[in-house]
Amino acid sequence: MNSLTPSTHLLLVLATPLIGAVVAWVLGARGRHAVRQSAVVTAGLTLVSTGWLIVRYLQSPEAAAGEPYAVTTLPWLVSGIFDVRFSIGLDGLSLWLFGLSALLSLTAVLVSWEAIKERPIGFYVLLLVLEAAMLGVFVARDVILFYVFFEFTLVPLFFLIGIWGHDDRRRAAVKFFLYTLAGSVLAFLGLLVIVLWHASHVGNVTFDIDTLTAGMAAHPLPMNAEGGWLQLIVFWALFAGFAIKVPIVPFHTWLPLAHVEAPTGGSVDLAGVLLKIGIYGFLRFSLPMLPDASAVAAPWLFGLGVVGILYGALVALVQSDLKRLIAYSSVSHMGYCVLGIFALERVSLEGANLQLINHGLSSAGLFALVGMIYERFHTRSIVNLGGIATKAPWLTVLFMVFTFSSIGLPGLNGFVGEFMILAGSFQRAWTGVAPAFQSPFLVMSVSAVLGVVLGAWYMLWAVERVFFGTSRQPPHGPPVEACDLRWYETLSLLPLVVFVFWIGIAPATFLHPAAAAVRNASSAAAEAFADRMQAAQATIQTIAPTVNRVVVHPHASTPINVFPQPLPSQSSANP
Amino acid sequence: MTTSLQTFFLLGPEIALVAASLVVFLAGAFAGLRGGWSVAIVGIVGAMALSGGQPTDGETLVSGSVTIDGFSIFVRWMVLSLGLLLALVQAGDLFRSAVGHNSLHNRGGTCEEAGTFLILLAGLSLVGAANDLVLLFVGLELVSIPTYILLALKRTDPHGQEASLKYFFLSLVASALFLYAAVCFYGMGGSTSLAAIGARLQSNDETIVGMVVVLLPVALGMAMAGVAFRLAAVPMHFYAPDVYEGTSPGNAALLSTLPKIAGLVLLVRLLALGIPAAGSLTATDAASIGAGATSHLTLFWQLTAVLAALTMTVGNVMALLQKNLRRLLACSSIAHAGYLLVGVAVAAAAAAAQADRTLQAHVSDTSWTLGLGGMSASLFYLATYVLATTGIFAAITYLGHRWPEWNSGSGPRPPREEIAVIDDLNGLSGTNPVAAFALALFLLSLAGIPPLPGFWGKLSLAASALEVDWNAPIGFGSRRAVFVALAVILVLNAAIAAAYYLRIIAAIYFRTTKRGVQTDGGLSAGFAMLICMALLLMVMLQPRGLFVSASRAGSGSTFASIRVQHPTQTIDPQ
Repeated sequence: MNSLTPSTHLLLVLATPLIGAVVAWVLGARGRHAVRQSAVVTAGLTLVSTGWLIVRYLQSPEAAAGEPYAVTTLPWLVSGIFDVRFSIGLDGLSLWLFGLSALLSLTAVLVSWEAIKERPIGFYVLLLVLEAAMLGVFVARDVILFYVFFEFTLVPLFFLIGIWGHDDRRRAAVKFFLYTLAGSVLAFLGLLVIVLWHASHVGNVTFDIDTLTAGMAAHPLPMNAEGGWLQLIVFWALFAGFAIKVPIVPFHTWLPLAHVEAPTGGSVDLAGVLLKIGIYGFLRFSLPMLPDASAVAAPWLFGLGVVGILYGALVALVQSDLKRLIAYSSVSHMGYCVLGIFALERVSLEGANLQLINHGLSSAGLFALVGMIYERFHTRSIVNLGGIATKAPWLTVLFMVFTFSSIGLPGLNGFVGEFMILAGSFQRAWTGVAPAFQSPFLVMSVSAVLGVVLGAWYMLWAVERVFFGTSRQPPHGPPVEACDLRWYETLSLLPLVVFVFWIGIAPATFLHPAAAAVRNASSAAAEAFADRMQAAQATIQTIAPTVNRVVVHPHASTPINVFPQPLPSQSSANP
Repeated sequence: MTTSLQTFFLLGPEIALVAASLVVFLAGAFAGLRGGWSVAIVGIVGAMALSGGQPTDGETLVSGSVTIDGFSIFVRWMVLSLGLLLALVQAGDLFRSAVGHNSLHNRGGTCEEAGTFLILLAGLSLVGAANDLVLLFVGLELVSIPTYILLALKRTDPHGQEASLKYFFLSLVASALFLYAAVCFYGMGGSTSLAAIGARLQSNDETIVGMVVVLLPVALGMAMAGVAFRLAAVPMHFYAPDVYEGTSPGNAALLSTLPKIAGLVLLVRLLALGIPAAGSLTATDAASIGAGATSHLTLFWQLTAVLAALTMTVGNVMALLQKNLRRLLACSSIAHAGYLLVGVAVAAAAAAAQADRTLQAHVSDTSWTLGLGGMSASLFYLATYVLATTGIFAAITYLGHRWPEWNSGSGPRPPREEIAVIDDLNGLSGTNPVAAFALALFLLSLAGIPPLPGFWGKLSLAASALEVDWNAPIGFGSRRAVFVALAVILVLNAAIAAAYYLRIIAAIYFRTTKRGVQTDGGLSAGFAMLICMALLLMVMLQPRGLFVSASRAGSGSTFASIRVQHPTQTIDPQ
């Protein structure tokens, strides 16, 4: 174990999918079976290696000290103004998303086992390249490298959707690519301003994310009229990129189309990992580097999160296509993450960070299962399906597990995340805002709870119609005995189920390693928010003391508690 | 202004090119030599060898009307290596027409084309080294006239004739405009030497200040129009789609690359008129920059910034509407001219800002400037653009024709169809995977997808635009606001551009076809495509080499005064 240094280990994890892609390409001459076998071996090796790395990280002194682990830094373009480095490393913020990428890549390869018959070489090569890009985006510690990986997740998925997708695949692929690219170029420009601002104060240009974060704390971007509100401009530029990626309503229109048209393997990666990059971007860049602007934007994004929850749920309720329904449920669930982040409460931030993993597991599982249903019955239309439970009981059981995970049944992972997010948003609404602003926050956070009800409604209703009730035989349905899960399908979903229960039963195992990183990322923004609220309250009381519309709330006299202690329910979950 | 033996030595590579062209012409006349292009390639390699023996960058050699500095060496190397690639493309184009069944292409003219092409290269290389208005104009005409001949030789069908005539007349207009501009500059400076004109512009002489008010806008406007034609920039951009469509892919490759180099060189030389020579700023006081130079720089950046924004947007929007592959690439080349202009505008604005500071402050400026000028960014971008575009046209040349729809028995074999519209590339990933992959790489690089070279180019352009007037507030209409807006327009245009590049990639990878391509364009064009791909991948993995040489060239002697060294502070650790 000592012979393999952590840095080499991480490099190996990143290189394994790429090497596997080359191997799959070389083996292409031996036919589809050889290619998919090699892809499974590669994804499996990467997963094992990633798991081992995560275990090593958890035991390392760096994890305890909150420092990046397994750092490798190589010069890439060091010349003139550029000091671009190939710099990678693992920390608390990226840890679980990194693991999730490796986990879901194996799922994506396995669910494509029989589904992909045409041009298998290209498919598996692209899937493995996508895996490398996904792993890379979470461990990049250099702005340029992050952007490179960020964009490079687009290219393989563009081809995956466009070649192996369903009927309207070309439009979906192009829309997906262009939408994301348009946002990301603006985000990149924003990051460039941050880099230049830092450079102009320090004297040497660096693209290193940690250095930039520290530098932005020392020399924040101007947040006043003389400075041209530069911080706010940069925040919205970054927002353009990350909001489209998440996607935050109203920037979500590419998502249902891309999901519906994507092959199952692509959907799994897209829903499971790629949507998380947006939230990860907020946590990695926006909150720590632009705390004041984040505080200004937080109420609006808090509201947009709630709108996303309700809008996604309502639209999901009326879908007739099962895959589209799950795509809209993704919009709704990512709304929770946005809500959790921009409530700027410690509980909700940690919950949102966990909810990323939860949603990755449940939506990936659901998309995989819908793909399996489609393979068997050649339809995804809810009205044409029915009574699957009698034909494929195990498939139904798994679908129920992921459904319950998705709607937040206590004991499963979704509950923990959603509960923490809602608890945090209530805490923000009741105790964390100035009384003058309290009522909109109260309305918004209470409406968010409605999303849980709606979520249970549309998911269970869909389950009822698809799996129970009268058994319908779609025109091309297979014989009943061939219906249930095959070995590779079981294998693809079993690890996900393990984590669904594990996170649900022992969430502290997953919350604890990320807690310090999430707190560091958000503390500046939360403090800025608290300051803002106090200042706003003081202004209102000096301007209009006689109006007396302001109900003086009992909490107004007590100092605003930015980081309260964890809620009892959360600590009771710790074993 | 004496012409000494040293001038001949400095112009050795150009002379070698002309000599090689004479050999090709003569051999073609007497022996009907088929291998004209082989001789041309040998000539280019010879010129490369000669320029390898030239003084290295860092020192500036002036002899007569020739200046050899980092910039001209960069231009010369780019011209020669690009010439080598284009020669391979053209040669491939040519073997095809020699064996073609019923090709539209003229079958003769091997040696004439090769010889003319060599003269074109010599002229372009000369433009890079000229420091005198007369030599500059001669060099430009040495670029233009061979281009007319090449366009006319290649195609004899009506479309080809329309293309060559259109190009001919517009080019004449552009040359005339540039000549008028040259006359105006001569009138202001009283000399044909660029250094002398520059010195006079920068002086605080009463007469020059008065003259500048009237003549400078006229001179700069006309010069810009002449340059815009070569760059295919707004307002002289409209010929490009028609001409590209009417000519062969090889010629289109030539048109989309070589004149752009000439245009950029002209812009650099014009801009340099307003910038004091290296060292003079620190040696003398602020009075060394006259009002003439300041207004020159101001006018220059305003003009180029507006043209850049218009050119990028117009080119990309036009390209969105195209179906024909060569028309689309013509529009894309217009858009890329806009990106190049961004860097030039940034360099001009940086020089203007420097002049402002020197005029107003009278103290050593302590603000921090970044080490990358817009000019270096433009040069780097030009190199990446040229690489990808040449690669695309090489690939199209190599792919040649589609198989016609024809059942034996249904009549005589129909004529072959040249690859013309995007749909002709349908299903290329199945029929010709290597070319498909190469094309996808080139297109993604042009779209600026990281980490391909086009991304590094756009990155440096955007960064250089953001750093203009860094310490000034972003007031509405201020210079800084203009360049921030320019950076935003640039990246948004990059996203628009991705739409039509993706359409081509989608055709290649997502569609299927029953009729493959013949790949009858000649192996040398395929070879050129592979070289471009290899170079592209090399720059992607290690952009440093090209980057360093571009920044050396951009910050060469001409722009040395822009660089201001400042003591660096370090961030205190908490």
